[in-house]
Formats: sequence, C-alpha cells, structure tokens
Amino acid sequence: MQRIIAVYILLLAGMLSMTGQTPEERYTRAGELYGSGDYSGAAAIYRQLYDEGYRSEDILFNAGNAFFKSGDNASAIVFYERAKLLAPADEDIDYNLQIARSRITDRFETVPQLFFVKWFDFLSLLASTNVWAVAALAMFVAALILVLIFLTKSRARGRLLSFWLFLAALVLSVFMILLAIRNNSLVNNSNRAVITCSIVTGRSAPGETGNELFVLHSGTTVTIEQELGSFLEVRLPDGNKGWIRSDCMEKI
Amino acid sequence: MTVMKSILTAMICLLVTLTGMTQEIVLTVDAPEAAATGERFRIIYTVNSTDGQFTPPKFDQSFSVQGPQQSTSRNVQWINGDIQTVSSTTLIYYVVASVQGTYTIPPAQFTTKKITVSSPERQIVITDGPQSQVPAARQPQSQGQAAGTGDTPSSGSEVSMRLLLTDREVYAGEPITVTLKLYTRINLSGIQELKYPDFKGFLREDIETPPLRSLESEVIDGVQYGTGIVQRFVLYPQIPGEIRIDPVEMTVLVQERSRVHDPFFDDPFFDNFFSSVSTVPRKITTRPVTIRVKPLPEPRPTDFHGAVGSFTLESDLSSSEAQLNDAITLKVTLRGSGNLNLAGEPVINFPQGIEKYDPKVTMRSSGTSSGSKVFEYLLIPRNNGTFEIPPVSYTVFDPDQGKYVTLRTEGFTVNVTGAGSSEEGIAPVYIPGEEVKYLGQDIRYIRNGSGRLALTAAPLIAKLQYWLWFVLALFVTAVVILLRREQMKRNADIAGLRNRKAAKNARRRLAKANALLKSGRNELVNAEIARSLWGYLGDKLRLPPSEITREKCYTALREKKTDEELIAELDRILTATEYSQYAPVSEGESPAALCKRSTALISRLDNVLN
Repeated sequence: MQRIIAVYILLLAGMLSMTGQTPEERYTRAGELYGSGDYSGAAAIYRQLYDEGYRSEDILFNAGNAFFKSGDNASAIVFYERAKLLAPADEDIDYNLQIARSRITDRFETVPQLFFVKWFDFLSLLASTNVWAVAALAMFVAALILVLIFLTKSRARGRLLSFWLFLAALVLSVFMILLAIRNNSLVNNSNRAVITCSIVTGRSAPGETGNELFVLHSGTTVTIEQELGSFLEVRLPDGNKGWIRSDCMEKI
Repeated sequence: MTVMKSILTAMICLLVTLTGMTQEIVLTVDAPEAAATGERFRIIYTVNSTDGQFTPPKFDQSFSVQGPQQSTSRNVQWINGDIQTVSSTTLIYYVVASVQGTYTIPPAQFTTKKITVSSPERQIVITDGPQSQVPAARQPQSQGQAAGTGDTPSSGSEVSMRLLLTDREVYAGEPITVTLKLYTRINLSGIQELKYPDFKGFLREDIETPPLRSLESEVIDGVQYGTGIVQRFVLYPQIPGEIRIDPVEMTVLVQERSRVHDPFFDDPFFDNFFSSVSTVPRKITTRPVTIRVKPLPEPRPTDFHGAVGSFTLESDLSSSEAQLNDAITLKVTLRGSGNLNLAGEPVINFPQGIEKYDPKVTMRSSGTSSGSKVFEYLLIPRNNGTFEIPPVSYTVFDPDQGKYVTLRTEGFTVNVTGAGSSEEGIAPVYIPGEEVKYLGQDIRYIRNGSGRLALTAAPLIAKLQYWLWFVLALFVTAVVILLRREQMKRNADIAGLRNRKAAKNARRRLAKANALLKSGRNELVNAEIARSLWGYLGDKLRLPPSEITREKCYTALREKKTDEELIAELDRILTATEYSQYAPVSEGESPAALCKRSTALISRLDNVLN
C-alpha cells in the first residue's frame, strides 16, 4: 500500500514538474535543451506545447529544428510547413525547410501553381484568419456608413464620391472575407499531410487488397483528397492519386 | 704463302730441336690431396716442353673427367748471345668424384721423339662432401657442362650470362636491383651487342656501371671463371602479378682457334703451330626470370603518394621570421631506399595569406635505389601576422613490414612582419579577391526570446455570431434609412398642407375680423388682419414663424416673381395695421376698408403664389 502511494506521489510529482511550469518557462527550457544538444527532449516539449494549442512561428520553427536535429526529418518538415503558414515571408523558415526537403528520398516533378493562386495564398497568410475577418467586418460597416452619407448628400459631386467610396469598401470587404476563408482553409483545415512512415505503399483502393501503385518515403508532402475509414486518398505532387493508411502521415 | 710458312716452321723446328736437346724434360702433377664427393677439383699436369705427346693417366671409373684444357707458353731469351728457350705445356683436367674412398692416380707420360718421361703417382682421398654442391642449377657452368659433352669444344659452354636479382617476390613499386653478369672460361675480345627485352610491367632505371674492361677471376665450384658486371639497373614493378622477364641477349666476340688442315703437315705435332686465333661472334642469352609482384594493400591512405620503401622524412624552414613579400623556403626531404623517383610530392595545406608555388624537386641518388628526394616549396607571405605551417604527413609503404607507415614532421610558426611594399618601391602584388568558402550546410539556429506564445483562437468565420454582425449592420442601416425617409415624407406633407390651406386660413381670420368689426370691437380687428396676413405668408413661403420679417418675406416674394405693386400694397396694409395698434381709433383708414383690401390682396397673392 505504501509503495502504491509512493509511486502515486512520484507520478504526481512528475506530472507537476511537467505541467506546473508556465508555457513560457517550458519554451525557454526547450531552448536550453536544444542548446545543450538534447534535441529529442526539446522536440518533445515543443510538440507538447503545440498539442496544448500554443501557436507561434517561433514555436513551430524551433520544433522543426529540434525534430530535424534529432533525425526525424518528416516531423521537421511538418513543423516547418506549419511555421510557414504563420509567417509566409520568413526567410529562415524557407531555408531550413529547403534543407530538410533536400533529405527526402522521393523526388517529383511538381506542377507549378498558377501565379495568382500563389499570390492570393501568400496574401491570405500575411494576417491571421481572424484579423482578416474583423477587417472585413469593419470594411463592411464603412461601406454601410458611406451609403448613409450618399443618401444625405444633395449635391452631385458629394454623391458621386461617396458612391465610389462605398463601392470600393464593399469590394474590399468581400475580398477580405475571401482571404479569411482562404487563410482558414490553409491554416486550420489544411488538406496537406506529410508522410511519416519510412516507407509506405500507395494502393488503388482503400484497404490492403488494392493494387500497389507507388511507394512513398518519409518526408514527402501529399494532398488529402478524401477519407474512408483508416485510409486516405492522397494526391502526389506530380498529380497521381492513391490510397494510403492514415496513421502513416501527419496533417500540416 | 704456304711455302713461306713451311720454311718458317721448319726453321723454328730446327731451332727448338737444337735447344731442346740441351734441356731435361720434367713432367709434374698438381692435384689436391683430398676432395669431397661431388666437388670439382683440378688435376694439372705441367711439362717444360711443347713438342711431344702427352698420354693421360687412366683415371678411376668413378671419376667423371673433363678436359684437358691445354695451354702452352714459349719464352725465348738471348743471354750473352746464347739463345735460351723456356717452353711449357699445361694440361688441366676437371674431375668430379662420386664415390668416397682413397684413389691412386697413375702416372701420366710425356713422349718426345727421344725420351718418355712419367709423372709421379698421386693419392687422393675422396670424402663425403656436402650435397648442396651437387645441384648445379645455380651454377653457371651447368649450361657449359651439357654443351661440353659435344664434339666441338667451342659450342658455348665456356661463356654464359646471368641476371642476378636481389629479390624475386616484391610489392608493386618496390625496387629490385638487377645485375647482369658475364661468366667466361675462354678469352673474349669484347662485347658486340647488348639487347634488353622490353621489361613489360617494369620501369627500368640504369645504374651507372663502369665499362667492362677487365674480367675478375672468380672460382665457382673449383672452376675458375673470368667474370664481369656488364650492367646494373633497378626495376620498379608497376603492375601486380607474375611477371616474366624475357632473356637478355648479348653478342660477345670469342677468340677461337681455327685449324687449318694441311694435307702435308697433318700431324699432331704441327697442330700447335698451324692453328691461328680468330674472333668469332657468339650469341649468349640469360634464362627468363619470373618475378611475383604483390599488390599494395587496400585501402590506400589518402596521403600515400606512391612511395614504396623505407624512408625518413625531414622538413626544414629557411626562417621563422619573414618579411612581408619576402620569399622563404620549406624543404621537405624524403630519404631512404625505395622508388624515390616515383614518390609524389606531399600535400601541404599552407595557411591563407601565404602564397605557395609548385615545389622544386631534386633527387640525389647514391648509385642504387637509395638516396634522397627534396621538395622545395617557395613561400611568399602576403599578409602580416603569425602563420602556422602545418606538419607534413606523408605515408609510404614499407615492404619489409608489409604495411603503410606514416611519416610526420613538425609544423612551423612563421612570424611575418614588415610594412607594405610601397615604401620599398616593389611593384604592388595583385592579390585576387577570394570567394567565401562554404564548409557545410546546416539548418539555422532556433529562435530565442519569449516565443510569443498564444493559444489559438477559434476562427471567427466558422462562427454564426460573426456573420450575424453583418446582418445586424445591414439591419441597422436599413432601419436608419427607413426612419429618415418617413420623417422626410412627414415633413413634406405638413408644409404642403399649410401651403394649400394658407388662403383658407387667412380668409377665415379675415371673416373673424369682419365679425369683430360688426360687434364693434374695432381695436382687435387690425391685430386679426395682421395675424391673417403673417400666417398666410409663413405658410405660403414655408418660413417658420420665428424667421418671418418683412424683408425676408419681400425677398421671398420677389424670388417668386411677384409684382412690386402687390408687395407695396402688402407693405401699406402691414404698416397700417401696425400703426393702428399703437394709435387711437379713427386715424387713418377704417378697419373695414383694411379688411376689404386684405381680402383682395390675399386673392391676388394666391394667384401669383400657386
């Protein structure tokens, strides 16, 4: 009985030591571990913070570095990709992601994105979903106020100006809503995933019976098309599709 | 010619016979007292005469006898007019005994025309000799022995040539010193031609050998040979495997006695005189040799530059204090025996800021493959400061140990001082800009700092409340617009009503004024008339009561294009009503007339304003 209590106390102490610290303290601790060379320890703390819902480009970038240094290239790519969604213009993230990607086994002829899609995505990632949403709402209210101004103006010049301003505000508002939706779909409902198994077979049907179509290695980024049970239909960077076990990938 | 020769021979014959008469002939024998089985020994007979018949003794059956090798010498002396001739004949038998025991060599006999002399009897003890002497493969005369049994005595038995190698099993690159040696038992007058094979798989380097002028005497197995080193050279095997060296061919000039067969002097006695010596070229070859070349073990160290042998390494820096742009030299000396000429230069990573030139290589070889090789690096410091010249590491393969040996020297420190070259008038040295060297690639370091931790907020656009804000904003705006529109409508209605009912109200007031007039309350009539006129004007001109003044009304009426006459009438009536309010009755117009005029004025104004 005493032993059980002792074990319980030990467990409790262990939990306290893990959760008793503030997130900031744990973040700093992870940085120290990284500096001293304990990369997997640092990676574990970063991942825990991520799982608890803490988000910032710094956490994600550091987590990617820790995973990269501890040898888990696939997780490193996942976290770099996540960091890139929060800071699309960050040069360090791009650089590290490029190094991590250079160690991937699979090579693809990637179909380049259309330039305006790329620009639109980049623009949508410059601010968070909620910033875009609030801005869109503010712009909408501004448009409505301009309507009222338009109605009270009796002179032709004032009416024309207020009309065009109203139109611009309305278009901007709609555009910002679109950006917010795009940002949300990229950041929060990403359909992209990174293969984490060292090797996995893509089949023509969900299940273990489908014909084998291709073999993927860890670190390759795929796009999820649909889900059926524990299988996901993914699209490869070169456009091919196949079914892969869902436990072999991590969503970005 | 033949006649002359005959006469000459006859004269010499006569002379010899005359002198020989006076001399006693002695036959001596020289033989060892003991010999071992298989050992070749010599039995030499000497007689102090040249003209006679030598009868060899009967050697034992177990002796194998070779020979005789015959030589004669003749010495003619004139002493005090007295001619004295000393001549001798030597016969050498080469004997090998195969069975041990004590043997007696019977006397040999020498018979001249007058006398027969005998040699003394000799006893030889043959003991059990060492067996190593028997296999004759290494011996140079084994060839000659086989050939010596032939009819012709000059069939190549006496001259042979051998390649003497220091080693027959070597590592690739390990030098082999080869000596080409000549063995002869006969007189040679010279070497006509020496032809080497192509030594496929080897690199050949000749060692300076003095030209063969005289032969050295060497006794091999009791046989005397004239030997001489024809050429020495070093072979460096280049490829591993069993490599065969093809025979070396040499043509020697042999002095050979050729017999002239004369039908008249066909007598053994004349043989010695009628034979002459001629030079005959004879081709001799060495036997092919096979050398086993072992490959160098893999993997080869990175600083192995092909040197095989046993070496030492030294390095020496000319000065540890250097002036800017003044040359210093680093000498690296590789000393020892091995394939020095194939040893590549060591790789030294000189520090940046010191300009390096390709090394000057000098080789000093002491005859054979041993010597030293000096790599001399010219260094010019181009920057001030202290520079470390790293230790030189040089790996050689030591065939004796069968492994790679790394030789190291000490590093040096150079202190470079001095001002720029401009003061000394030396042309400025162009130092090209250097590109930054990238050593490796790694991810960038983690971010330090607060980390800007924040819990994720749920996206607003996924919530209904957010979209309801839009609806609310729209609704509020719509309500505002509607209310405003209602208000405007209402305002517009009130004004219109007043406008439309203005004349009616005014007439009603005037009617009231008439009623007051009839009841006799005249003081109130004028006020009622003024009120009716002001009310009419306010309603028609849409002016609030507070803003009604005469000037504003007139201005508004003028804007509506009312006649000046009407405005004047209005002014008169208004003045009259005001005046009457402060003045007593019956001054000016009567109220009844004012009332009539007001009614007419409103009718006319109504026509204009409607």
